[in-house]
Amino acid sequence: MKAYVVYCHPLQTSFLAAARDRVLAGLAAAGHEVRVTDLYADNFRPELSAWERTHHLDPPETKPEIAEYADNLRWCDALVLVYPTWWGGQPAMLKGWIDRVWVAGVAYELPPGAIRIRPLLRNIRRLVVVTTHGSSKLINAAQGESGKRVVTRALRVLCHRRARTKWIAFYGIDRASDSDRSQFLDRVEHSLRSLR
Amino acid sequence: MNVLVVLAHPNADSFNHAIAQHVVDTLTGAGHEVHLLDLYALGSRAAMSADERTAYHTDHPILDPVIAEHAALVQSVDTLVFVYPTWWSSLPAILKGWLERVMVPGVAFVFDDSGKVQRNLMHIRRIVGISTYGSPRLYVRAINDNGRRTLMRVLRLSCGWRTRGRWLGLYAIDTATAAQRAAFLRRVDRRMRSL
Repeated sequence: MKAYVVYCHPLQTSFLAAARDRVLAGLAAAGHEVRVTDLYADNFRPELSAWERTHHLDPPETKPEIAEYADNLRWCDALVLVYPTWWGGQPAMLKGWIDRVWVAGVAYELPPGAIRIRPLLRNIRRLVVVTTHGSSKLINAAQGESGKRVVTRALRVLCHRRARTKWIAFYGIDRASDSDRSQFLDRVEHSLRSLR
Repeated sequence: MNVLVVLAHPNADSFNHAIAQHVVDTLTGAGHEVHLLDLYALGSRAAMSADERTAYHTDHPILDPVIAEHAALVQSVDTLVFVYPTWWSSLPAILKGWLERVMVPGVAFVFDDSGKVQRNLMHIRRIVGISTYGSPRLYVRAINDNGRRTLMRVLRLSCGWRTRGRWLGLYAIDTATAAQRAAFLRRVDRRMRSL
């Protein structure tokens, strides 16, 4: 299987960096081919520009800054997102990567005269999210889990018709013990090793 | 009323800008004090930096003086109005990042002694969201309106129990006629006057 891992956290010393390493260990153990993007290390610009907004339906060849990310999206069978949940959803850095890379010609097409978009990422059969939430599962349920819905609904409809999502979330990390943390990391590696 | 309007659209000639201008004019005309933050015009940086993340759990989580001004505005107003286009069911990155960098501990919430989050925006009486959508209303409801959830649930949980939310959406904007857009602007005016 070909897995594309997108990692988003400003600090290399974060718990999420450890989670990413266990993601990679699990994928390697299962013999999967892997590509990795580290958005902060890439110094990715998350703000969709005025030019990009005006030309949002133009072919992706006119947008060389996103070419590598777009290639990786077209190449993979599994997309793995690793990020902290902030204000109920993806950090701005990751949301901006979605805004700028999941554009016409990459994630969807809008043929002339059509009123609905046509998905283009049918190659993606698995969507995996590894994330941490400061607050409890109950609080997140009350908040509406909007980050989860962005992936399992808004992004998933652009992928394979039967794309499955795997949600690996650590709730209540603000008050978790060291053993909770190491248990979660084990769970991450185990889940990714069994990814099919 | 003291109102902070936060606008997040890259094009200065966008319909979102027209909406924000209507909001500002209507509220100013009604005698309210209004502040407008046009995030793209201000060159607002969306991504929280490594230094900001490191400072997040300290007593001084804000490092950028512009962000400090915005946080002071948030603490001085009683009404927040957000104007933005919905992209991939949610907030544009520049607005999401503004929330992340402004609504830090000590502004939107505080951690109590046991590390639990306690709300800190009890002075906000109203949150108004105004958004444009490429998709028709039914599709938005099915796929879920995650930007709306972020503002009306997550942010509102940091406010008081009686903080009210108002939502105004223009759906299927790509096929909306000039008359429909004009009607939407009139609706915005009416809603602003009745706040």
